[in-house]
Amino acid sequence: MKKHIIAFVVACIALTGCEDFLTVVPETQLSSATFFKNQNDFEQAVNAAYVPLRTIINDRAWLLGEMHSDNTYYARNVLFGATDNQEDIADFSIPESNGTSANVHVLNQWRQDYLIISRANQILVLIDDVDFDAAAKANIKGQALFLRAYAYFELARYFGSVPLHLTPVATREEAALDLSSEAEVYAQIEQDLVAAVPLLPKKSAQQPGRVTEGAARTLLANVYINQKKWSEAQQILTPVVTSGEYMLMADYAMAFPGNASNKNNAESVFEVQFLEGAAGLNGNFIYQFMPRPISAAELQPIMGTSNPQNIDGEGNNIPTPDIIAAYEDGDLREDASIGYVFLSGSFRDDKTYPYIKKHAKQHSQHNNTGTNWVVYRYAEVLLFMAEILNEQNKPGEAAAYLNQVRERAGLDPTTASGQAEMREAIFMERRVELAFENKRWFDIQRTDRIEEIIRPYGQRIINNPLDYYYPPIEGAVPRSNAFTNLSKFYAYPAAESDLSPYF
Amino acid sequence: MKNNYLLFKKHFFLLLFIILTTNLSAWAQATNVTGTVKDETGEPVPGATVMIKGTQVGTVTDIDGAFNIQASPGAILVISFIGYTPSEVAVQSGKTSYDVTITTSMSDLSEVVVVGYGSQIKKEVTGAIQTVGGDELTDMPVTTTAQKLQGKLAGVQINQTTGKPGQGMNVRIRGQLSVSGGSDPLYVVDGFPITGDINTLNPDEIQEITILKDAASTSLYGSRAANGVVLITTKRGKTGQTNVNFNVYTGFQKVPENGRLEMLTAEEFAQFKKEYYTDAGQPVPAIFQNPSDFRGKNNDWYDAMLETAPITNYNLTITSNKEKVNTAIVAGVFDQKGVVRNTDYERYSIRMNTDYAISDKVSVGVNVAPSYIVDNTPQTDGSRGTGILFNALHTWPVMDIYDENGDLTFFNRFPAETGNIFAYPNWLRSADEITNQTKRVNILANTYAEWKPIKGLSLKSTFNTEIRNSNYFFFNPSTATNRINVAIPTVAVSIRDNFRDFSWLNENIATYTGNVGDHNYEILAGFSNQQFRSDRTRIQADTYADDRLPTIQGAININRGGTFSDVDEWSLTSIFSRLTYNYKGKYLFTASVRGDGSSRFGADNRWGVFPSTSVGWVLSDEGFLNTSSSISFMKLRASYGITGNNNIGNYTQYALVNNTINGVFGNTVVPGAAVTSLSNTNLGWETTAQFDIGLDLGLWDDRVTFGYDFYTKNTTNLLYAVQVPQESGFTNFNDNIGEIKFWGHEFTINTVNTTGAFRWTTNANLSINRNEVLELADGIDRVYGFAHITQVGQPFGQFYGLNKLGNYANAEDLANSPKIPGRSTVGSIKLEDVNGDGVITFGGDNDDRTIIGNPFPDFVYGFTNNFSWKNWDASIVASGSQGNQLYMRHLYSTANLDGVFNMVAKVKDRFRSPENPGEGIFGTTVGGGNVTGIERDWPNSNFVWDASYFTIRNITVGYTLKKLPKSVKSARLYASGQNMWVFTKYWGGSNPEVSMQNNGQGDGGNLSPGVDLAGYPVPRTITFGVNLNF
Repeated sequence: MKKHIIAFVVACIALTGCEDFLTVVPETQLSSATFFKNQNDFEQAVNAAYVPLRTIINDRAWLLGEMHSDNTYYARNVLFGATDNQEDIADFSIPESNGTSANVHVLNQWRQDYLIISRANQILVLIDDVDFDAAAKANIKGQALFLRAYAYFELARYFGSVPLHLTPVATREEAALDLSSEAEVYAQIEQDLVAAVPLLPKKSAQQPGRVTEGAARTLLANVYINQKKWSEAQQILTPVVTSGEYMLMADYAMAFPGNASNKNNAESVFEVQFLEGAAGLNGNFIYQFMPRPISAAELQPIMGTSNPQNIDGEGNNIPTPDIIAAYEDGDLREDASIGYVFLSGSFRDDKTYPYIKKHAKQHSQHNNTGTNWVVYRYAEVLLFMAEILNEQNKPGEAAAYLNQVRERAGLDPTTASGQAEMREAIFMERRVELAFENKRWFDIQRTDRIEEIIRPYGQRIINNPLDYYYPPIEGAVPRSNAFTNLSKFYAYPAAESDLSPYF
Repeated sequence: MKNNYLLFKKHFFLLLFIILTTNLSAWAQATNVTGTVKDETGEPVPGATVMIKGTQVGTVTDIDGAFNIQASPGAILVISFIGYTPSEVAVQSGKTSYDVTITTSMSDLSEVVVVGYGSQIKKEVTGAIQTVGGDELTDMPVTTTAQKLQGKLAGVQINQTTGKPGQGMNVRIRGQLSVSGGSDPLYVVDGFPITGDINTLNPDEIQEITILKDAASTSLYGSRAANGVVLITTKRGKTGQTNVNFNVYTGFQKVPENGRLEMLTAEEFAQFKKEYYTDAGQPVPAIFQNPSDFRGKNNDWYDAMLETAPITNYNLTITSNKEKVNTAIVAGVFDQKGVVRNTDYERYSIRMNTDYAISDKVSVGVNVAPSYIVDNTPQTDGSRGTGILFNALHTWPVMDIYDENGDLTFFNRFPAETGNIFAYPNWLRSADEITNQTKRVNILANTYAEWKPIKGLSLKSTFNTEIRNSNYFFFNPSTATNRINVAIPTVAVSIRDNFRDFSWLNENIATYTGNVGDHNYEILAGFSNQQFRSDRTRIQADTYADDRLPTIQGAININRGGTFSDVDEWSLTSIFSRLTYNYKGKYLFTASVRGDGSSRFGADNRWGVFPSTSVGWVLSDEGFLNTSSSISFMKLRASYGITGNNNIGNYTQYALVNNTINGVFGNTVVPGAAVTSLSNTNLGWETTAQFDIGLDLGLWDDRVTFGYDFYTKNTTNLLYAVQVPQESGFTNFNDNIGEIKFWGHEFTINTVNTTGAFRWTTNANLSINRNEVLELADGIDRVYGFAHITQVGQPFGQFYGLNKLGNYANAEDLANSPKIPGRSTVGSIKLEDVNGDGVITFGGDNDDRTIIGNPFPDFVYGFTNNFSWKNWDASIVASGSQGNQLYMRHLYSTANLDGVFNMVAKVKDRFRSPENPGEGIFGTTVGGGNVTGIERDWPNSNFVWDASYFTIRNITVGYTLKKLPKSVKSARLYASGQNMWVFTKYWGGSNPEVSMQNNGQGDGGNLSPGVDLAGYPVPRTITFGVNLNF
């Protein structure tokens, strides 16, 4: 072997070192070996960490958070099959086996949240070792911490205990982790957000659309509220109210961004950004919210596009009679939130369906919208404050916040008195103020009112299917398994369970 | 195989000259002896060795076979020449001139064969290798070298997966395969492992090909050796001679009628449609009411795509080996039109090999081989979506190819009530108007310098380069399309895809040959560095204002997704060493080791070590066998070694960052980037550990020689993208996993059947290759292909689907059999309820799929017969494959029972009624897609058919003219036919050889071998040639 060693030494000397010769990194693609070296790299990395929010919001947040409640339902179209995944969510009938489910939306929600987490982890584990402008670094770090916390908060609310990845996965063995308890996940979310708040700029100092200090405070308040940590919530949220950075838009309809205008407006605390066009940054959620089959002519007045097309299939996220009835008389928000459309192709007698008007903004190209989605807005901050104060037995102080929201809606101040009545008033106000903003299921879940609210709602559908958009056709009735699975959490995705030894 | 020695001879005689010249003075007292060496036909033998027995003194004969040597009376002259039996002559006092005749040896055991990093006397070889000489390959009228090797090699399956000129040769040594890595053997041209395609090499430049099969013979190629190694040696001059050879052949190619897929004629198609509507109880559309209206009006679209095509080859070879310079020049022009309209292949090539002896101790050499290749095949192969041949095959025969003026139609569509769902463009126009052209410039160059400072020691340094430039141009004008149901005019599209590849290799080798008494040994040690870089630029543009100007600037739109630049690079540093030892040429031992450091391997696993050892025992040299008169030679061999497959991708080990994950804030787009794959710093080569045992036997003075090898090898660490939980943020992890076991038997037999005026020899081989998947990744026991499964405990890539039992014969059969709820009817396909749950289910938890066939043959075989009589010579090469099956994928269209496409003629015998059940292959048409969709959309055993074949590859007959002008040494006229007859029961198309993985036709891939999508047919070629020697 001595000969080999000599030969090797000669070979290497001749080539100025073997490792150099043998290290060939991809030239036309960046690799982790060449990336994460400067501020620009980390800025790009944090930008990419926001990206999964687009598909979460566009394709499934409304399924898992809104249609999985008494606010919206699907409009059954018997001509179309392959709708089980959506119907199971709305019908509280997701089939489970050994704590797992094959529901594709549950699976994708899980995967997209972990995509945010893994991208944030890459940033957080490396950023301190790279030297660049301290303010820029703090801003990026704060955004990454917020996004990781946001994703874990979604997972904690959808699934409870989940694997807690805090460093980038580097090997096949690290890819699966054991479940961490809900409490451990919440502790981590709080820790991340507490760290993020001082790192992030105020809204007025941040690029519009990025995470701000106010967004981090609001998210953290929501996290505290979910755990009934009222005083911590008050402490973290109060500066948002006093900052002067936010206000209610004068007109309720103006709280919701347009296709290209009114984005990140004064009421907006955190919103997911879309851009109309061919670059793949667009959304189309309003199309998914339309009852079907709808003709181009019926669609055009709502969308305002130059090239409307017929849409087949089954419409989702259709406002229920329950939410329509929940608006008080004179509530300006009802007309701003819900519109009606006539479908000539419908089997129903009146052929008329409600749709979510507050998210329908005029745009130019069919099935391609730039409308942003508001996750947190100032109205909810006010309602959070009302709830926080009421739960600390200060219903009087709570009423002041609640009435700000009611006043804009054209309603008189609340008549609720006492903590219990105020609690119900806030709960009802949240339902209508935040209708179709993917809050309803979480409100029902965190207040432990699933049985109380969903069970009778299910009975109403089963008993009166025609009221819930079933066509008057024989056999077109709620499925036999409807409202049989009213669990607090979604089952773990089966496709992930197959690959993990831990669940 | 008589040319086998040529390379060796050059070095050997050069050396001999040097030794002899330096030693001549010591023999000054001896007398001058002259003579001539001739063979049994009286022709002079140049280059024969004349040695004084028991000394190192000798000379070689010149071009006239003459020699001149200083020898004392009483000395014995030993005259030897490779391929001939040595002859001895005693020098008598006073006689100074001797004419010696040497006779052809039956045996080639004394020949020298090229092995990895050197050459060896065949008798002393301990590995499993096989050689094919260039003279066996010269007459065959084919485009590529691999085609010439079909049927000649044991343990090597060579299939022609498409008839596209210059493409589609699939070479697998000892059944090697991989889940996701490459399985092509390593091609080494004059010591240089090339990175390109050997198909670019003019086959006429080849002097000899050696196939290295077992680990002992391949392991010096280390991490690239596991798929076997093909060594190609190019031409050199013969000692003392200048030869000029001009060879030309020309002829034509045609797809034989026999063996084509039989489709319905227009009349039969109309009859089918009439029956279709009648059976369904629906009114028959007017045009199909009288099928006889279409009698004589058939439009055979497939046949119309084909034409008889010329093929011509010119080759000029000049070799000269005189004094200190040995040169060979090979110039070739090859021009082939394809048998499909508007397809062609042209190759212009020159090779110049020169060796120059600067002094007794130092020699240098340069080979330069530029070539230029142009080929055009307008998207002939592909699936229903993309291949124009497949599309032509299933176009309705009632649609007109030509209009009433005899011009090609543009477009055919029948009214909707005829069941014509798709519109068809005129495929002849598609072939004529779509450009799909590649122009390649290749320059292969080798240089070396060799220094022999002392006897037995050689120090050699080589520098080799390979430059490849390829320019691909595709243009689909607005008047044509390769797809069905695309309206004309189409959106015109152009693609330019240009590659510039460069590879260099430096190798430095020291070899010492010596002996201690009867102990002979050779020690070799060396190191090398090789690097490869490919620069690619691709531009895709569309929407042209004018089809006549398909420039980039002429396009209105640049397609961003199809426009990119790319770089691919790798580097390899190696050290290697070999010890070859024998005692009296009887007990043989070889050990070798190579260490490869590769840029493809993970940073923590950068070096692979590939050792091997082999032993041999020449029993026939032992006393106890010497007494036997029938056994003239007998050798036992055994070897074991480890080799690697580094075809794992250049950057697979790295965590790649995708920088196109853009974000948006407000209305501002911001660039985004994220790590999208996991790095694996331990990623390595696929490892193959191989054991081989072999027997070589010569009987009756080697009139019959017999070879046998048994091998068993285990390939582990297969490259595979293992799925990981996506909570990691990733989808998979590229890892080395699993284990596949291969084993097989190889037999060869060579016989001299007759000698004398009529000489007849036969070479035959047979190989059996088997494999079994022993392990996949943790928790994974199966991976699926297209209609395939690779499952632990089973052979690789088995056909997988539902098992057809027949058609439901009648209502009672239907009632009493498991069925598909809502879809099965009387006469529809009856499938096996494998899991016994009473319901037929495809996929999911209650899956009834099972293994339904095997794409791999039970055995493959080949034989070659050579005949000569007076001035005549002839040869027949044949090869076959037994027991392999094909998945007749095109049936999903060509047996679509809804009558959407034209169909195979066999649908005439489909199920019509319980009284008229047909031949059982195709079911009822009644019920539409809900019923008929099962048999075409669910992979099932109705697609799987035996594809055993026996092919007469080549027949050549030649006549050598004797009476010639003085300037011409010899002239031979010959006729050669390639792919003369294919004997097979396979009815799905004319090429039963698509039966291997990587058919490149859309549904392929390593995990999906043996899929037939009706690609470019393989033609029969008949040529006539003249071969002149000056």
